[in-house]
Order: sequence, then C-alpha cells, then structure tokens
Amino acid sequence: MALFHSCCLPTPSPPQLLSFRNSTSKYLLFTPAATPSRCRFPKLSAAVAVESPPASSADGVDSPKLLLEVRDLCAVITESRQPILKGVNLTIHEGEVHAVMGKNGSGKSTFAKVLVGHRDYEVTEGTVVFKGENLLDMAPEDRSLAGLFMSFQSPVEIPGVSNIDFLQMAYNARRRKLGEPELSPLEFYGYIAPKLESVNAKIEFLSRNVNEGFSGGEKKRNEILQLAVLGADLAILDEIDSGLDVDALRDVANAVNKLLTPTNSVLMITHYRRLLEFIKPTYIHIMDDGRIVKTGDISIAEVLEKGGYKALSAT
Amino acid sequence: MAVSAFTPIYHFNPSEPSTPASLPTFFLKPTRVKATKPHRIATKQPHVTSSTTLVAALSDPFVLQIAETLEDSLSSTSSPSPPPLQKLRDTSSESLLSTPWPSRKDEPFRFTDTSLIRQSDITPTSHPPQSFTLLGVSEDTHFPNLAIVDGYVVDSLSNVSGLPDGVFVGGLSSLNSEVVMNRVSEFVSNFEGDLFWSINGVGAPDLIVVYVPEGCRLENPLHLRYFSVEVGNQESNKLPVSNPRVLVLVEKGGEIGVIEEYVGGDGNANCYWTNSVMEIVLGDGAKVSHSYIQSQSLSAFHIKWTWVRQESTSTYELVEVSTGGKLSRHNVHVQQTGPDTVTELSTFHFSGSDQTQDLHSRIVLDHPRGVSRQLHKCIVAHSLGEAIFDGNVQVNRHAQQTDAGQLTRSLLLEPRASVNVKPNLQIIADDVKCSHGAAISDLEESQLFYFQARGVDIQTARKALIFSFGAEVIERFPNTSTRKNVESHLQKLLAPTLRSQ
Repeated sequence: MALFHSCCLPTPSPPQLLSFRNSTSKYLLFTPAATPSRCRFPKLSAAVAVESPPASSADGVDSPKLLLEVRDLCAVITESRQPILKGVNLTIHEGEVHAVMGKNGSGKSTFAKVLVGHRDYEVTEGTVVFKGENLLDMAPEDRSLAGLFMSFQSPVEIPGVSNIDFLQMAYNARRRKLGEPELSPLEFYGYIAPKLESVNAKIEFLSRNVNEGFSGGEKKRNEILQLAVLGADLAILDEIDSGLDVDALRDVANAVNKLLTPTNSVLMITHYRRLLEFIKPTYIHIMDDGRIVKTGDISIAEVLEKGGYKALSAT
Repeated sequence: MAVSAFTPIYHFNPSEPSTPASLPTFFLKPTRVKATKPHRIATKQPHVTSSTTLVAALSDPFVLQIAETLEDSLSSTSSPSPPPLQKLRDTSSESLLSTPWPSRKDEPFRFTDTSLIRQSDITPTSHPPQSFTLLGVSEDTHFPNLAIVDGYVVDSLSNVSGLPDGVFVGGLSSLNSEVVMNRVSEFVSNFEGDLFWSINGVGAPDLIVVYVPEGCRLENPLHLRYFSVEVGNQESNKLPVSNPRVLVLVEKGGEIGVIEEYVGGDGNANCYWTNSVMEIVLGDGAKVSHSYIQSQSLSAFHIKWTWVRQESTSTYELVEVSTGGKLSRHNVHVQQTGPDTVTELSTFHFSGSDQTQDLHSRIVLDHPRGVSRQLHKCIVAHSLGEAIFDGNVQVNRHAQQTDAGQLTRSLLLEPRASVNVKPNLQIIADDVKCSHGAAISDLEESQLFYFQARGVDIQTARKALIFSFGAEVIERFPNTSTRKNVESHLQKLLAPTLRSQ
C-alpha cells in the first residue's frame, strides 16, 4: 500500500505522527534552512504524514525520504568523561546503504552504541533525528520500537533465557506497541520458522539459551535472526563480519540483502572491503578521531585496501 | 596424604546495588589438588560422657524445659511406642541434656539468629489436630500421597493405595512386618545432629517410614504434603512446634522419587515452627530423587534436617526451592558409605521479604570415585532479607578419584540486602578433582541492555532475568507438575518485588 504525503507548512501544533502501523510509512521532514546549530534539540518544526487512499507510485519517488540525521554529535565515556565522538555529521535516507570504516579506536562502535542509547556513553552536544523524532530523548527500548536496530559486535550471553522466549518477548513488545494482539508461543513458532531458514540456522537455535556457548559465527547469525524477526527501518551492523569464515559471511550477507527494501536502510561498520563486496554500499564514510573525515563511494574502499589509511589522508 | 582446606568467606553488604559494576564477583577456577605432606584436621568433637555432674553443668534449663514439655505432650498417648521410636526418643533426650540453645558464637549458627524462636512461647502441637479447616489440604495431587498435619499422618487425607508389593508407607505404629521393623531399628538415630535434630527426636509423635524393598522401582513419586493447622499469631507470642520425622529406606537396587512439600496456604501472619527431619538410607545401586519445596507462612520458622546415607553406586538427587518462612534453615548431611556414589544437590532460595534463608550442607566422602555436584542459588530481594550458605565438602583419605564440584551464585536486588556464603572444601585424598566457585552480584547491566536494545522494557527484562536465575534449579525438578507449580508460585512472589522497583 502506497502512501501519499501531503505537504503542509510548519505549524506550531505538535507533530502529528502516524504510529508505525505500516512498515512502508514514510515521513516528510521540514527543516529550516541549514543554519549550523549547536542546540540540543532539532529545530524542525513539524513532521506530518497523512495516510490516504492508494496513489500512483510516481508520487513517492521524487526524492528519497530522510531517515536519520546526525548533527555535530559529541559523546564522552560516562565514567571517565573521556571524549570519543567529536562532532559527527551523517545523513541517511531511506533505501541507502552506508558503510563506516576507520582505524581501531576512531569511534565507529561508540557511534553505533550512542545511537541505540548505550549507558556507557553520554551525549554532550549535537542532535540526532530519527524519522522526525529526537532520538536522544528516547529510552533504548523506545528507539528499538521506533525501528532502530543494532547488531552487537560481541553479543552478551543470557543463561536461563531461551532464544525463542527472548525473541517472542521482543516481538510481542513490538506488537503491543503497534496495538496488535500478542502471539502465543505456537503462533510465534509459525512466524519464526521461515525466518530461521532465511539465516540458515538450525531449529535447535531456538531452544538454546541466548548466545550461551555460541561460536562467534553463531552469535552473528543470531543477531541477524533477531533483525529478521523484529525488522528495522535502520539496521546498524557493528562489525557483523568479524570472526566469520567465508561461508558464514556469505550467509549473513545474503540474509541482510534479503531484508533490504527500498524503504529501509543499513549502516554497517567494518574493517574490511570483503563485506562491501557482498553488501554494496551507497556511501562509504571514513571515521577518524571521533569525526567523519571523508565520504565517497566504493572507490574509497579500494584506495584504503591498497594503501591503508595513510593513502586516504594523503588524497 | 595431606590436607588442603579452602575456606574463603565472603561477607557482603552492598549499599548501592544500582551500581553493579562496582560489586566484585568472586569466581574460583576448578582446582586440581595433588598434595604430598601428611596432615590431618581434627574435626571430631570430644565425646561427652553422661555422668550426672557433667550433665548438670552443661545442661541448658531452657532446652530441658522444651524437652519436658514435648515428652509430657506425647506421654498422654497411652499405647506403648515401638522399640525403634523409643530408642530414638531415649538417645535424643540424652543428647538434649548436654546441648545448649545455639548462639551466634557457635560456628554453625554464626550467621543464623535463632533467638526469635527462643523468645516465643513454644508449645507442642496437640494430637489429634483439632480442626481440619485446612488451607489448601484439598489441593489435588495425582501421586500416592501422605498428608502430614502438624507432624501427624492423617489417613483420611492420604492415599497410598496401589503401591507395589513390599513397599510400606506410613507410621511406624502401623508397621506389621518384623523384617522391616528390624531394618528400621538398624538405622534409626545413628547420627548426631544439632539441637534441633534432637528436639525432633524427642518430640516426633511417630516415625513415618517409607520402605522400598530390594530391586523395586516406583513409577510414580511419593508426595509428602506437610500442613500446619495449629498456629499462633504475633500478638499471642504462642509458637506451636511440630516435629515430623520420616525415614526413607531404599534397599539394594530400589528406586523412588519423594516430593516433600511444606504447604503455606495464604496465612502469611500465621506463626508456627516446623522442626522436621528426614533420614534417607540408600542401599547398593539404589536411587532416590528428592524434591523439596518449602513455601510456608512468612511468619513461620522452618528448621529442616535431611540426612542421607549412600552405599556403593547409589544415586541421590536433591532439588530444593525454598521461598517461605521468617527463618528457614535446611541442614543437609550426605554420608558416603561405599564407592562410586553420585550425589547431586540443586537448591534455590528466595528471600523476598524480611526473612532469612539458610542452607548448611555437608557432603562427606570416604570412598573412591564418588561424584558430587552442588549448585546453590539464592536471590535476596528485600532490604531486610538475608541468605546464608555454608557448603562443606570433605574428601577424606580413601576417597581417591573423587570428582566434586560446587558452585554458588547469589543475586542481591535491594540496598542492604545481605548474603553470607562460606563454601569450604576439605581435601585429604591426593588424587581428586574438586572445584568450587562463589559469585555475588546484581543483575548484569549488559544483559538488561540487550533486552532493551530489542525493545523490551526494563521491568520485563528484570523479571525475565530474575526468573531465569531460579529456573536453572527449578527445571531440574523431575516432575512437570511440580515444576509448573513452583514456577507459578515464584511468578506470584516476584510480581510485588518487581512493582516496587
């Protein structure tokens, strides 16, 4: 079902947002003329989306919709107050695939964790707007329910909680949020079985405890299974390729590619070009010392592969 | 031959559980012990002779008074006691003469405060139980079962029909078989416990016997349901004490499951004291699967002894979940009397109110190739709640190639909640594999975040993690119905705990 977006002038009334009842719903944002701003809250005035009867698809494709806008994001480690992010700017539209590369310690993973609200980090400056809402004001679980997903670089083990119970809990939280009835264990099993197949995981996966005793490859596969089950408008994949052999990498990448649609986006963090051969990025960003210092297309990765980060800074 | 004794003592009182990162976690790696120097720890108490002067000097008038009251209450029943019961009473009264009421200065009671019992007006429960307006007695069980009310078997509420030939379940007074009677005589009161063990011996109205003959395997478990009908309340200070005593005797190759359930009902203001003893004797190759559920009134005192004697190649498995009682203490003593035994203790204690949960366990291995596995978990979810664990494993000189593992984990969920754990291994044999570990923590922040990152709110996440902590023990109950009942009981207990957070 297609949506028609009627454009309105910014009004002082509160933003009138559709609930995420439909994964294809789109948001049109109105931002004032780009004035560099250091204030904590975004200066957008309204975000309006109105559902209407099916319209011709031509109406929707004129320009891709803004999904995530990060401005001058600064963050420190909560405990030590050590600054890690020092003014990150990044804009992601629907349907785009972005890759962030950079040296160890350049702040890539911190950036991902800050976006999902990890408590180890505290945002000191800047704004993050996700689907028209101030992301930084939201609790981690609300960010997830709003359509943001991060696959953990090293997922934690949870003994005593089975994978299927965990997934069902998370999936039902999503259904509650959408005002849909929760699925019973049996119904949920019917829902999850094909997802399991899509990531090439065995059925025993479900009865095992969350990540307990999983190999590195199984843990990554489990992250992608969660992505497949929960769905996401923006999936942040933090080093999804680390610790994987070629076959497992192909499986994981295939699963991610299957989940890609014209409206959802991927932000992947990686050290290696190999992943980019499987999941083709629209943009590559190079991160250094807490900032994105260079943005370009796949050719950046090629320069990087040949001459390392030195070669990039020389250009 | 040498001694190697590990006794780390962790005394814990976190002031800020909201910062779990600052709480240390203790975990000791499995230790393989190879020792060379000959030494031995003297652990045996000097034997006290019962010459009158000495007794007079050591007697505690308060204890003697309890003993007298108990004896008086039982002498009113006219029929003569069967010899084993008489023997039990005699030896127990004798040891009471020289056993004072324990204080915090006594090592086994260092962390356990029994003064509240002492300050109460202790009165024996009367026989027969006066009323049957029993809370929850109607609760159904589809297994062969005995209802034990205030320490007395109530036949009208029990059903032990359909047991295989040769199996006896019931009071010693109704036992007709001379053979079984002689076997019971052999094993009765062969052990010296503490004061509470002896009080039970004096006050037990009958000895309940569960006898499984050689080679007999019971398909269904035997369900022992303990009820407390005669109760006091806080105002009256009256504390009715009941002394149920059970002997489970499983001959060579026999197998039985025993579910011991202390039913609470909904009277959490009811004061009573259950002072219970179960002795379990396993012949060669016998197997006992023991489920023990304690959910008594939160104003009750529950002192329990489980004494186990394992002959060669026998298997004893205990799964315990204790949630009730103002003070609840379980003493487990496992004595190995032959090689190749298997012992598994899995226990879960939940202290969700102003209450103390205590486990004192001792496994004594004297023969080769014994395997023992112990897992103790506890949650303290109240600022005045307390948990105590003293887990002793003795691997003596002849217990070569023993494989003994012990792990205890505690969750402290409230400020000022406290836990005292004292895992201790005494190893004298020199070719053994022993491990122990102790961990005390709040819920893992990283695990909570993982739930949140998948859209699950923090309350639900906490609940799932707390529940899963206990589930590791609960899922070891051999019976599905037991498991289900305990799970739903725990869910109910967790609900208010989680609301308050």
